[in-house]
Amino acid sequence: MDAIGIVNYLVGFAIMAAIYAVFALGLNVHWGFTGLFNIGIAGFFALGAYTSALMTTKPPDPALFEDFVFGGNWSETHFLDLGIDLWFFLGLAAAAAVCGIIALIIGYVTLRLRDDYLAIATLGIAETVRLFFLNEKWAANGSKGLYRIPAFLEGWVSPEHYDYLYLVVVLVVLSALFLAVERAVKSPWGRVLRAIREDEVAAEASGKNVFRFKLQAFIFGAVIMGVGGALFAHNIRFLSPLTFDPLLATFVIWAMLMVGGSGNNRGAILGAFVVWGIWTGTQFLPGIFSDPNFRFFMIGVLIVAVILLRPGGILGEERRITRAADS
Amino acid sequence: MEEQPILELRDVVKDFGGVRAVDQCSLRVMPGAVAGLIGPNGAGKTTLFNLVSGAMPPTSGEILFRGRRIDGMRMHQTFELGLVRTFQIPREMKRMTVLENLMLVPAPQLGERPWTSWLIPWMVDRQERRIESQALEVLEFVSLSHLADEYAGNLSGGQKKLLEFARTLMAQPRMVLLDEPGAGVNRTLLRELSAGILRASVERGITFVIIEHDMRLVMALCDPIIVMANGAVIAEGPPSNVQQDPRVLEAYLGSSFSGAA
Repeated sequence: MDAIGIVNYLVGFAIMAAIYAVFALGLNVHWGFTGLFNIGIAGFFALGAYTSALMTTKPPDPALFEDFVFGGNWSETHFLDLGIDLWFFLGLAAAAAVCGIIALIIGYVTLRLRDDYLAIATLGIAETVRLFFLNEKWAANGSKGLYRIPAFLEGWVSPEHYDYLYLVVVLVVLSALFLAVERAVKSPWGRVLRAIREDEVAAEASGKNVFRFKLQAFIFGAVIMGVGGALFAHNIRFLSPLTFDPLLATFVIWAMLMVGGSGNNRGAILGAFVVWGIWTGTQFLPGIFSDPNFRFFMIGVLIVAVILLRPGGILGEERRITRAADS
Repeated sequence: MEEQPILELRDVVKDFGGVRAVDQCSLRVMPGAVAGLIGPNGAGKTTLFNLVSGAMPPTSGEILFRGRRIDGMRMHQTFELGLVRTFQIPREMKRMTVLENLMLVPAPQLGERPWTSWLIPWMVDRQERRIESQALEVLEFVSLSHLADEYAGNLSGGQKKLLEFARTLMAQPRMVLLDEPGAGVNRTLLRELSAGILRASVERGITFVIIEHDMRLVMALCDPIIVMANGAVIAEGPPSNVQQDPRVLEAYLGSSFSGAA
């Protein structure tokens, strides 16, 4: 591979790692700060991706025998001519909204109950979403998948340089989400979330409506995951239910947060790059070492190593020493 | 006109399966009192706290706080009315600093709405400064200032007890339920703790109900003393009366003792 090829590979890698970092941030809001055990990230991943894709993709041409009925076609609709592709942001917003509403419903039903019920419900919703898109062909072409998903600002640069542009887009969104999450969890709101993570009963005895805060955190994290799903859809530009298997859409993200440092937003992003680097890097190893099963095994080894050597993850949670009164 | 009780229980019952932990319990606590709640293990004292604070609903009966029904309310709701409790086994937020444990408490805080940190951070900061200086004062009050930035999980058992007490002071409550505040606290700190309770009672008019097994502390600090056994109140009154009540001796020492006496 020549130098350009390596750069292009790294850009493609960075796009995916940054998209995974968005999910790791969302999971950090759920698990790292609030202690909500979401093991169905794949569900929000798929909902976000399909929502934005279906809203922006052209409706299928009957002559092509495509088996889905709805394409929102926002990419061809002129909402407001600002000279940029407004549909992209509307797709992101729609993905975020759908995930937020689903999180509101699941959270409202399960967050009053013991923690285990949220885990079961999230796992259930992930499988339901995946099986829905697999079996209901009219929705998104079933296992054959949804393709010709539009790309953001496609005409702006030549196709061979498009990835550079999209990397910038993804990094801008990631940075904005990072700042939003960082702000929120360092505020008194975040303090209540961490208190809930530490001891729900004590948080309740400190006058906090634990259910309300848990619901807010669950929705916030799910909204971030929805945005991640939409970014993913417009990068890969092809979606099939197979994309959202629990291994690559839930387990890997948990690994990223554990390795990088649960409760630390920089750690979540770092973990996404480290784990995605190991996952994609190991495919170049010779023989059996590039086998997917072996590579998952390596990620398992990495998690165990991190837990043994640095239980809080590479970065770990910072102790918050607030001294506003002195400054 | 007779003064209204701040807390009143009417025929409160709590069953756990077939076990009746609290049995037709009725009592009144007057405003400003420092009441002691004593009784042998399993008398139902902590369960009573759980019912009053809203940690669990009673099976039947009525609980009134400042004339208002509170049975069936949740803990954060009774907190909002000014009723705060501590736990027998301290429940601190382990991976949060001592200072943060206290800054959590005051309510309502503007910054507890997620959007405020994005839209009006300066207003949140101003409130944070105020809450922080309040928390530092309370830490001074319970002699934990030097541990402000320590993780609460690293405190000793006695220090955690003091942190529990400090948490109630942050709430600016009308009434505080203390569940064995003295357990594990050394003698010197214990004296400061009782002085702190008395001062909070006199200066801030806070009403206390205190579960405590340290009889010296209870007899010195509390009046009236309420004695529970088998889920019901068996005696109530000033320390001197309660100490001589044959029903109390029987509850603590068994019927053979009171029979012999």
